[in-house]
Amino acid sequence: MPKKIWNWFVLASGNVWVIRTFVLFWSLIVLLPLMLLLIFSFFETKSFVTIYKPSLNTWVSLFDSGRFEVALRTLRVALTITMIELLIAFPFALWLAKGCKSRTAKAIFLALLTIPFFLDISSRTIVWRAILGQNGLINTVLLETGLISKPVEWLLYSEFSVHFGMIAPHFPTMVLPIYLAISLIDDDLIKASEDLGASPLQTLSRVIIPLSMPGVLAGTVFTLGPALAAWIEPGMLGGGFVNLLSHSIESAYTALRYPVVAALSAFTIVVLALLLSAVLVLTRRTASMEGLFRRMHQ
Amino acid sequence: MGILVKGCAVSLDTLNTKVPTGDSRPLAKDFEMRENNNGVTSKTGRKDRQRSQAESPLDEAIPPMLNIENVQHNYGDVQALRGVSLTAAKGEFLTILGESGSGKTTLLRIISGLEQPTAVDRIEIDGVDVAQLPAAQRNCTTVFQNYALFPHMSVRENVEYGLSVRGIGSDERERRALEALDLVRLDGKSERGIGQLSGGERQRVALARALVTQPAILLLDEPLGALDEKLRQQMQEELVVLHRQLGMTFIYITHSQEEALTMSDRIVLMSQGQIVQAGTPETLFDRPNSQFSADFMGFENILTGTLQSFKEPYAEVSLGGKSVKGVWTGKTLPEIGQAILVAFRSERVKIGDSIDTSKACNTLPCTAGDRLYRGKYVDQTAETEFGPVRARIWDRSQQLSDFKQISWRFDDCVVLT
Repeated sequence: MPKKIWNWFVLASGNVWVIRTFVLFWSLIVLLPLMLLLIFSFFETKSFVTIYKPSLNTWVSLFDSGRFEVALRTLRVALTITMIELLIAFPFALWLAKGCKSRTAKAIFLALLTIPFFLDISSRTIVWRAILGQNGLINTVLLETGLISKPVEWLLYSEFSVHFGMIAPHFPTMVLPIYLAISLIDDDLIKASEDLGASPLQTLSRVIIPLSMPGVLAGTVFTLGPALAAWIEPGMLGGGFVNLLSHSIESAYTALRYPVVAALSAFTIVVLALLLSAVLVLTRRTASMEGLFRRMHQ
Repeated sequence: MGILVKGCAVSLDTLNTKVPTGDSRPLAKDFEMRENNNGVTSKTGRKDRQRSQAESPLDEAIPPMLNIENVQHNYGDVQALRGVSLTAAKGEFLTILGESGSGKTTLLRIISGLEQPTAVDRIEIDGVDVAQLPAAQRNCTTVFQNYALFPHMSVRENVEYGLSVRGIGSDERERRALEALDLVRLDGKSERGIGQLSGGERQRVALARALVTQPAILLLDEPLGALDEKLRQQMQEELVVLHRQLGMTFIYITHSQEEALTMSDRIVLMSQGQIVQAGTPETLFDRPNSQFSADFMGFENILTGTLQSFKEPYAEVSLGGKSVKGVWTGKTLPEIGQAILVAFRSERVKIGDSIDTSKACNTLPCTAGDRLYRGKYVDQTAETEFGPVRARIWDRSQQLSDFKQISWRFDDCVVLT
């Protein structure tokens, strides 16, 4: 970057008006809608008309109608997906950042990781129907080879298929931040750990994992959020048997029950916020974003 | 001999004890210049050397702390090390000196186990064959050039690391870490974060972290490179003191001639993946054995002539008919009449006409050339018919202009190929 622009940028970033403008802008497009959402959840609808009188009726009905269970199920599915992604993504990111010596291979893998961002998710998801279905590829092969006598039913339109279908689309958002964080770990730190007598496992647990926590945290946020809002995979691969929050919200929305929509969304956001604060507190020592940037600066 | 300063007397003792080790070449007896440059540190360094040389017959019975035979290492097509063999005695301060790209850091990483050599006949640390052992199981630790301190740990946690991965209990760990921090004079800062330390303090933490496990060999990879001048000199002194206190074998990598001369018991000069010369600081400083060594160690004046005669230890060289005499230090003596080099340091050159020629001195007629003021001294060029010769003049009362002759002693002159 040209020095002049950079200087201007540094000057501007310290200016109080820049910060104020940013906060105002952010409030208008993000925080204000959230506040309205929360307010709306305290209204209710009677015969398709919203009654603008504060009450807890919508929240109470949420727990009565079974929508609450849907929210919990969604949370369970999303957390499971996030855990699975983390377990696959961390070793992969570690290998990509430190193990893979060929620059070409690295570039190819990084390019492959961006594919999910290009292709429409429904077209990628619908393929699984042809593979997992009762007359699908897997069942056909298994039947032909005589391993099974009748088609395996739980492969499609089940919680299994929903989980399965969500793994690939949510993989890059977990891998990339972790990859970045591990890439930033100085090779000499790993060498120093080895030099001081640490086994590879000790180096992993005491140096690499703590120093990659900012990436793990970012990956978790970027994966958990979209997984909670997943709509295509449960719709296409759940076949109506796996009712998740997104569909609950949609059905409430089509029934013009806006306060229910608001309450469901608010509930999800609150749970998400609680989860993330818990993670932040648990990893406070090693995972502050500030720490990551300080390290980059050194 | 002139006036003897105290430090010079010490170096003379060193000289005497040196004789039995087999090097019969007369060493320059005049170290005033070095004493002026290096002060206290080099004196302590030299006393140390004196002690280790007094023990040298005993040393030969003990196996060396480090023994490497014929190590080769390639990075792709580039040969980083071409058959290097090296030993270090117990408690020795060995410096590997060389330019960047000479292979010195590669050698260090091979000793530490962080790099696997392409081929090696033998690597032994403290009598143990470590060629197949990973870095974690070798009895040596490294002080990294950029310190490589763990940014997510406090000073104390960094120092404790080597102990905690060995499963040592927290009480003992803390006690030993605080001891090590005390040793590097950082006792008050054990709970600080790494980001809160200055460069010099980080250096000390890295040192404490490497020392705390009490390795047989401490490897130091240009540890003072990132420090400013004053701090570097202070750390040099501290390292020498620390080395003496601990009696540990130090292997120190540097590209700085000054650091090598100040701290080492022995210096190994490397170039292009090979050892060019090894010896005491005095040997390297005054008796380079090749043009590269002479050049690297700062012999500003290197003239080309032909060999006239040789009578141990002196070689007489003809510079276009004018004969000069110096100590032969080269490897293989050429035939009489073949081309040969004469090298001498600028600080050993005297200028002026009233030189007592009865002393064992070479003289050359000249005219005064350019003069460069350098603060502590003046670099005066003398134009001779064989090219410019530089004289470094420390004496401010010296008449600089209008001299017609330069001279330097036979013993301050080396002849090599």
